Amino acid sequence: MLTVSGIRKTFHPGTINEVRALQGVDLTIEEGSFVIVLGMNGSGKSTLLNAVAGSFFVDEGKIEIAGRNVTAWPEHRRASLIGRVFQNPFSGTAPTMSIAENFALASRRGHVRGLSWALSPGLTRPLRDRIASLKMGLEDRLDNAIGSLSGGQRQALTLLMATWLKPDLLLLDEHTAALDPKSADQVITLSDEVIQRDKLTTLMVTHSMQQAVSLGDRVIMMHRGRVLHDIRGAEKQRLRPEDLLDRFDEIRRREQLDESAAAMLGDLYI
Amino acid sequence: MTLLLGALIIGLILSLLALGVLVSFRIFSMPDITTDGSITLGASIAAVLLVNEVNPALATLAGALGGAAAGAVTGIIHTKFKINSLLSGILVMTALYSVNLHVMGRSNVPLLGSSTLATRSEEFGRSLFGGESVGFFGWSVSSADAAMLLLSLIFVPIAGMALYAFFRTHLGTSMRATGDNPQMVRALGANVERNIILGLALSNGLVALSGALLAQYQGFADAQMGIGMIVWGLASVIIGEALTGTRSLGLTIIGTIMGSVLFRLLVAIALRWGLNPNDLKLITALFVFAALVFPGFLERLKRRRPTVS
Repeated sequence: MLTVSGIRKTFHPGTINEVRALQGVDLTIEEGSFVIVLGMNGSGKSTLLNAVAGSFFVDEGKIEIAGRNVTAWPEHRRASLIGRVFQNPFSGTAPTMSIAENFALASRRGHVRGLSWALSPGLTRPLRDRIASLKMGLEDRLDNAIGSLSGGQRQALTLLMATWLKPDLLLLDEHTAALDPKSADQVITLSDEVIQRDKLTTLMVTHSMQQAVSLGDRVIMMHRGRVLHDIRGAEKQRLRPEDLLDRFDEIRRREQLDESAAAMLGDLYI
Repeated sequence: MTLLLGALIIGLILSLLALGVLVSFRIFSMPDITTDGSITLGASIAAVLLVNEVNPALATLAGALGGAAAGAVTGIIHTKFKINSLLSGILVMTALYSVNLHVMGRSNVPLLGSSTLATRSEEFGRSLFGGESVGFFGWSVSSADAAMLLLSLIFVPIAGMALYAFFRTHLGTSMRATGDNPQMVRALGANVERNIILGLALSNGLVALSGALLAQYQGFADAQMGIGMIVWGLASVIIGEALTGTRSLGLTIIGTIMGSVLFRLLVAIALRWGLNPNDLKLITALFVFAALVFPGFLERLKRRRPTVS
């Protein structure tokens, strides 16, 4: 479903702010697979998601979604294949517009937006039912501005919007990181439900080891812009949070070794 | 009474400009100074066509389309060439000054003797009211003015409703969302750049329509007529928001129309009381400045109060 081959991205090349965010990522994700992406800050996991979504163009490499080479597609064109939920609950919804209008926007993802009415009974009726199933009491507030809702409510709605038309690929970028624990749980449960029900191919970035072991069927760990570990199948089933922490420790030790080795070499030769 | 009637008519005509400013300033959060050039462009295109005896309705439409093209140019400079929105507007406004002089061939085109929407409505008024003047709540007003007011009272609300309807369509909704949250609009597959170009074209099309009508009402087009019109539009939008609030799009549109009429009336009264017309732009600018600063100032006062008490 998603094939990423040899993608590289350097931000601000040739300046002191140069960041080699992606240094040759190869990844193939089968249809219906739910992949958790782990990594420390700056490991390139969010950059990977943004590269796939088309927030920027990669310097090298190729990205294919559903058999189509989208490497040169602009972001809004790739959106016909991709549903996204961002870390910031404010990013996924238009605050001054009503809940119903936000879903009207989502209902045309990947379609031409013409001069027919945005709000029609054909949209609002199923919308009311779907939102009622969230049990947040929002079904009677479809005409309220979405900006008046809490972060958790907005993130749950963003998730429904992203999956309103079944996307070929769902990208979740730490979408519960900015929420309080209770809302985060609700949104995670909802995400899992939607992903299982629609068998969505999903890439989810998270910092939570608990989420990484309990959700999905594959975990990839990124480090310094590369995929370092790829845990799948039976190994993923057996995975415990401690195993993941061990692997993080391993990375940290290697990191320290690199630094102290560099310092030692510096003392000796410079 | 004639003064009041004239103020009402000009207020209604300029409410189309105010609606254009509402689109660029409030919906796209982009104060678009192209307005100053496109109102003159609409007036000049219409005036030149009218002098050449083109059908007034067609001439007015051509003026509006000219403004829409100017707005699209601003949008393209801003989105495709990544130039700051304010600067894009300044560039197009400056260029339009020369374009307008070329369109008109001189700095002023009088419409005396041409058949315009204004002369047509005068004829309509005379036949409707059966004479040169008509009783109006005890006052005698010229039937020409009365007909003009009647027609603008019909046309402007229709334009407002059309704008409202447009912003309720799929395309219009995605344009409103573009001003609200461009990142989300991109993630939902709409082309933000195209939406901005279309939005500025719509905004300046309305502004130029207003210019074409104004030229016909006042009987001439002038290269200087656009100076400061963006501020005029902003003042109308701000007064409108004070009148009806910003809770819904429909109320905002109604408010903007009312704001334009009210502002024009206030100006007419002030001029009547002896305000120096040279000070008009200064006072308008000061008014908009105060209206932009005042809400933030109130907010700060409110926030300070608990710590004092």
